[in-house]
Amino acid sequence: MKLPTWSSLALLSLLPSACLAHSQHTSNWAVLVSTSRFWFNYRHLANVLSMYRTVKRLGIPDSQIILMLSDDVACNPRNTFPGTVYNNADRAIDLYGDNIEVDYRGYEVTVENFIRLLTDRVPPDTPRSKRLLTDDRSNIFIYMTGHGGNEFLKFQDAEEISAFDIADAFQQMFEKKRYNEMLFMIDTCQANTMYSKFYSPNILATGSSELDQSSYSHHADNDVGVAVIDRYTYFNLEYLETHVKNASSKHTLADLFSSYDPVKIASTPGIRTDLFRRDLSEVLITDFLGNVQNVEVDGDGMILDEDLLALARSAGYNITEQEWKDAMTGGYHEKTQEERDTVVGEQRTWEGPARVHKDRDGDFWRNVMSAGAVGVCFVGYWVFSMIDKV
Amino acid sequence: MALRVPVNLRKNLSVVLYAFQGLSFLAVIVGLASLLLLPLDEYSRRTYISENALLPGQVHAYFGGSEQNIVRAFRREVDLLGNSTSDVVAERMAEIFRSAGLKVGKQRYSYKAAGGEYTGENVYAVLHAPRGDATEAIVLCAPWRNIDHLLNEGGVALTLALSRYFKRWSLWSKDIIFLISSDARAGPQAWVDAYHDLHGKNIQSLSVKSGAIQGVVVVDYPGAYHRFESLHIIYDGINGQLPNLDLINTAVQISRDQMGLRTDLQEMWNHDDGYRHRLRTMLRGMVNQALGHSTGPHSSFIPYHIDAITLATHGDGGWHDEGSLGRTVESVFRSLNNLLEHFHQSFFFYLLMAPKRFVSIGTYLPAAMLLAVGLTLTAIRLWVDPRSRSGEEKKEEEKSEKVKEGGVVAVDGGPKRELFLPMSIVIGVHFCGVIPFAVFNSVDYKSMSSVFYIFIAASVILPTLISILITLTASPHRLLPAFHLSRCFSLLFLGMFLSTLATLNFSLSFLIGLFSLPLTFARTTPDSVPLALVNSILLQLTSPFAALFVVAGYWGLGVEDILKEASFGWWVWGMWTPVVVWCVWWPAWVVGRVSVDSSIVMAVMGKRGS
Repeated sequence: MKLPTWSSLALLSLLPSACLAHSQHTSNWAVLVSTSRFWFNYRHLANVLSMYRTVKRLGIPDSQIILMLSDDVACNPRNTFPGTVYNNADRAIDLYGDNIEVDYRGYEVTVENFIRLLTDRVPPDTPRSKRLLTDDRSNIFIYMTGHGGNEFLKFQDAEEISAFDIADAFQQMFEKKRYNEMLFMIDTCQANTMYSKFYSPNILATGSSELDQSSYSHHADNDVGVAVIDRYTYFNLEYLETHVKNASSKHTLADLFSSYDPVKIASTPGIRTDLFRRDLSEVLITDFLGNVQNVEVDGDGMILDEDLLALARSAGYNITEQEWKDAMTGGYHEKTQEERDTVVGEQRTWEGPARVHKDRDGDFWRNVMSAGAVGVCFVGYWVFSMIDKV
Repeated sequence: MALRVPVNLRKNLSVVLYAFQGLSFLAVIVGLASLLLLPLDEYSRRTYISENALLPGQVHAYFGGSEQNIVRAFRREVDLLGNSTSDVVAERMAEIFRSAGLKVGKQRYSYKAAGGEYTGENVYAVLHAPRGDATEAIVLCAPWRNIDHLLNEGGVALTLALSRYFKRWSLWSKDIIFLISSDARAGPQAWVDAYHDLHGKNIQSLSVKSGAIQGVVVVDYPGAYHRFESLHIIYDGINGQLPNLDLINTAVQISRDQMGLRTDLQEMWNHDDGYRHRLRTMLRGMVNQALGHSTGPHSSFIPYHIDAITLATHGDGGWHDEGSLGRTVESVFRSLNNLLEHFHQSFFFYLLMAPKRFVSIGTYLPAAMLLAVGLTLTAIRLWVDPRSRSGEEKKEEEKSEKVKEGGVVAVDGGPKRELFLPMSIVIGVHFCGVIPFAVFNSVDYKSMSSVFYIFIAASVILPTLISILITLTASPHRLLPAFHLSRCFSLLFLGMFLSTLATLNFSLSFLIGLFSLPLTFARTTPDSVPLALVNSILLQLTSPFAALFVVAGYWGLGVEDILKEASFGWWVWGMWTPVVVWCVWWPAWVVGRVSVDSSIVMAVMGKRGS
């Protein structure tokens, strides 16, 4: 009578690791970038600081957040409220208040630094706070905002990053096993063009506006004298603030994306899911914006087992060490271990990203046609040289 | 093959000559017509803010309420000082600025022009930006007496009140300089010259300075009455230079959209945005630009590449008062404060035809250019014209020999052109242009009008004298070609000069081009004395003096006042308009009249030329 109870308890203890096997990540990282400079781009700074606040609120520690911003707004002499950045005219939350860790500041926000950060090709003396120390079990949330155009994003009026640059950087990250899954969110003009070139797996991307569409600011603060937040970010935040109350929230990305209203945002937000394997309705928002709540246990799980044993004893079950060990080494455990292996195996046999020119038959005919074209040129050359001689 | 055509054509040049004449005529007509097309919607554009940093009208302006009482108190203060000497005024103003906690400087200046002396004392205060880096500054200026010599009660009082008000804000990124200039014409010039250490010896250096000036707003709010109807934005600078269009757009957008204050340009008080009003606004602007004079204290700043405008109140029946004007100035200053770099995004060359309508240089430039092209084409036609050649026809053998020697067909065959005489006429007359320029810039105001009439008489006689002299001395067959060629060189020079000038001061170039149009057809006609007489009268009617009378009539002033203004402009502002008129236009006109008068002289003397 008692043993089945033990077995169910043991099963319960394995549940977290089973979940782990499913969502595949053991750490969460966030890279938040405001590529703009200057006072009149206040809103981009506010956008990125709002996102910073959100991911911190949902548990990602500063050590796992890379914050890149020009940081020339809070202490700008033009700021009516020195040392503050607000994202709303009601000035309820000072985003710059305390506990801000800016990792890349001012002129350090460059395309080169951004790509070096992503691909971890940094000088050896780079401090940990400026490195993205992720592995193949890390979920990364990348948020970018600034002034963009068709397939480019300006960095501080000095240079720009193209959609191809980011796509290639992501592929390198994939090859270097630097992420498990990635959420790419971008709020610029023509933002959706920025993720159109991605080709690496497990990337989910969303942007604020289509090709030839501008992203607009939401409202201005008439005392600060500038627009304080962009629409897309504003409505993302509104959802996150009202629905995702804490890190254990069960809201999914499908919920977040379905909350987007093109009329309110004044542009058509885009979502790209073709590189992503999971169904969005199963992907928690906190998989990316929150810190991982699950803990993977090293070894045979004895410490946890002992904790559970103590828990069981304190609950009034009279149980010996031997009985407990028997329950622990039961068939359930082996079975789940196998299951986990198969899942890992599945991932290994995965064929890689869907590429564009993969059609072998098409390649063959294309080769034939190009050979034919060369032949025609050759014949033409011969004919004309004959005519010339005649 | 290519060379055969002109050689053949030379045998029958009339086709080429008519073609040039036609083209020249066409260029002038198209040039004039294109100017008249500009006010249409299809050719002009709506103004827009080009500089992202400006963010006009995005801030609440808080000037008002009790601040208004302070303005009224200062008004009383200004009123009491109304007739005091400038040093008393400067001392009192300095006291007020000091009590507001600002650094104060004073500057005496003295200019001499047209026999008059212009003295005064400027006073100014510097508000250091509390969190700024003191490398840049913006200026709020109020002349003690405005350009019409009215006591600028409201403007000065508002500046004093705003200096106290701005001091309370901590958001300035640039220093703010409050300048109360002694008058609207010489004072600001003395101050801005001294600010850049380019002042003469009768002008004091400034004791307090700040960073590079990024923008200037002048408040012109004369009279004791508080209320006003609309805001008149004055923007013309010295020598027809203009402030960046963004500054005007900012002022227009803030006063219209944020403050609900009507804005006027070029004294067009009832602008209906129709074709006629747009055209009139544009033409009035062009006259101001062509004259190149100062239209307010802001004008002196513009040659230093400092963008400046004057906000003048107009009318006294409206419902706006110090509060509205103060808030407008406050909001404009918040926008200027937002600037990150010097104004550079928008246009510096434009014609405004309504507060929110303009044409840029690319659209309007062809008008003046085509007039200049008309002159140049006429000059080329005169060069090609066989009548410009003198000397005997060379023998056919010589010609063919020359061809053989050269190995190619000599394009310029036929009799040679005698260049010495026409060249010396044109160059000599252009040198003579220095005389009126020097005389009018050194003569006393009192004797100005008598000197002017003597000069008119002299320049009416001068061309006739020159043509008589040449007709008497030169050999008959060289006469006609000499007059032809001198006209040719003179027109060529005028055409080149005007097309260059068009890129700097479009309006001046266009107006001179317009007045010079008779020069394209008033030619030497020894066969027809009546035609020569008509041409001579026509030239007289479009002479620089006639233009001077037109301008005098336009402003309702005497000719001597215009000349005094020109002299003052040259000595105080560095205005180049007199140079252009006396050294370029007047010589071209004299040469034109020489060639017309020569036909009468030749007819009378019986020398018909070759």
